[in-house]
Amino acid sequence: MNEMSAPGASRHAAGAGDRSAVSAGAAVTLSGLRKHYGEVRAVDGVDLVIAPGEVVALLGPNGAGKSTTVDMLLGLSKPDGGSAQIFGQQPREAVSTGTVGAMLQEGSLLEDATVGETVAMIASLHRRPMPVAEALGRAGIADLASRRCTKLSGGQKQRVRFAVALVCDPDLLVLDEPTSAMDVGSRREFWQSMQQFTAAGKTVLFATHYLDEAEEFADRVVLMRGGRVVADGSVAEVRAAVSGRTLRAVVPGLTEAAAAGLPGVNTVEMRAERVELGCSNSDATVRALLSAYPQARDIEIRAVGLEEAFLALTADAEEATR
Amino acid sequence: MKTGYLALEAKRAMRSPRFLIFTLVFPVVLFLVYKGLYGSAKVQGTDITYTAYLMCSMAAFGGFMAAMSTGARTAIERSAGWQRQLRLTPLTPRGYLFAKAAVGMLVALPSIVLVSLAGVFSGVSLSPVGWVQVVVGVWIATLPFSVLGLLIGQLATAESMQVYTSGLMFLFGLLGGLWIPVTVFPNWLASVAKVLPSYWLADVGHAAVLGTHDLGRAAEVLGIWTLALAFVVVRRYQRDSARA
Repeated sequence: MNEMSAPGASRHAAGAGDRSAVSAGAAVTLSGLRKHYGEVRAVDGVDLVIAPGEVVALLGPNGAGKSTTVDMLLGLSKPDGGSAQIFGQQPREAVSTGTVGAMLQEGSLLEDATVGETVAMIASLHRRPMPVAEALGRAGIADLASRRCTKLSGGQKQRVRFAVALVCDPDLLVLDEPTSAMDVGSRREFWQSMQQFTAAGKTVLFATHYLDEAEEFADRVVLMRGGRVVADGSVAEVRAAVSGRTLRAVVPGLTEAAAAGLPGVNTVEMRAERVELGCSNSDATVRALLSAYPQARDIEIRAVGLEEAFLALTADAEEATR
Repeated sequence: MKTGYLALEAKRAMRSPRFLIFTLVFPVVLFLVYKGLYGSAKVQGTDITYTAYLMCSMAAFGGFMAAMSTGARTAIERSAGWQRQLRLTPLTPRGYLFAKAAVGMLVALPSIVLVSLAGVFSGVSLSPVGWVQVVVGVWIATLPFSVLGLLIGQLATAESMQVYTSGLMFLFGLLGGLWIPVTVFPNWLASVAKVLPSYWLADVGHAAVLGTHDLGRAAEVLGIWTLALAFVVVRRYQRDSARA
């Protein structure tokens, strides 16, 4: 687990030189962004620079401050401190020039309008929209144009909302949990549409719960927790940290020091004869364990869950900053 | 850019079954029923039949119901989060209110025209100026109701919106003298009616029928209602936006 903070930190160090250069023409610049609701610090000093063309996943558990950050970035709520800029513009300005398009988390659609009308209505308000048919096509719902919004599946509704976000022909697309209402198949199709958008060099920031989506579609992962950015690195770095496994077994005679000395072991937790090992290479660990302790039994190896990975990354990042 | 938006909004509003029943069918049916009951009677102290008078009342009724319920429907959009989506467009708060008020009025027109047509087929005859006053005058006078609808839309939830509009429909329809002429009201009730915007909305048409084209008082009362309601709506919208 300690490995994670190292590459994360080195990225910060390596990036520091070009970061200021990037921030001049950055797609997104958040600096010292804060939002408090009474005593709750929903967003507690977020700094983030996203270069044009980057596809960034904003990860974090519920209540991490992702949606609040997105709201402030879009000018839907005012920060209590710090600032947000989109391509050098204030959020409201970026919205009114159509520089940014967004798919909000809880937004629903008009019940009494068709898909085509809904998208056309939003298009008619923008200054330089793309043709409605093109937005529908790009979102993969050209065949649904005359369908009432009430007669759509969850996945189809999300695609309509994607078309609504796309129709202003934005340079930056912000998506708050875009696939939360979708089944696996719809999610795949959704991300295929998204890849066409990013292939054109556009910038995307999306908040998600699904680590696999972040791995597959993002160039960079920003992990939030408790209103702060606690990890910021490439997908490969995050994957390396999260691909660890937990090995549990009952091993009579094993000492904590001996367990820590087994190959591929990062963390050790012992309770009587029961041991729990956090492993970076569980194959090597289990081979060594069985050859040295043939009496080991009840062996169980499983992948680290997303929530555990979050916890681990959070703990590491906090120690690293101390 | 706004015309496409207005057209689509109007199309949506006219699609609702509630709209069709309350603002297109209901006023015409009421007009025909009332006409059958006492259409041939003369308006007190004049030589004019009640048919023409009733036509104006029902045009006013249909017009204000259309304008008011269109605005009130924004409550549904608010509950659904659509307003947040609109805030991600160049539409300003002022533009939003203007557009919504305009849609309310746009939607009020068909019902005024329909009742007037029913009047024509029932033998009502007016001078060209009189017809303009009945149709265009009443139409313009629906503005405060359009703004009132918006206020309901901002205060009510999707569920309570129906209660508000129905309540106001009865208040304005009954006490405003649209369903029962104010001339048969006791004096105190007639003074109440003359505070309500619906009385003056109908008065724009009634004046045309009675041949008095003096609309100063109506313009005054309706103007005050419009300004007061618009003030509350703008205040309320600003607070709503700030909190969201």
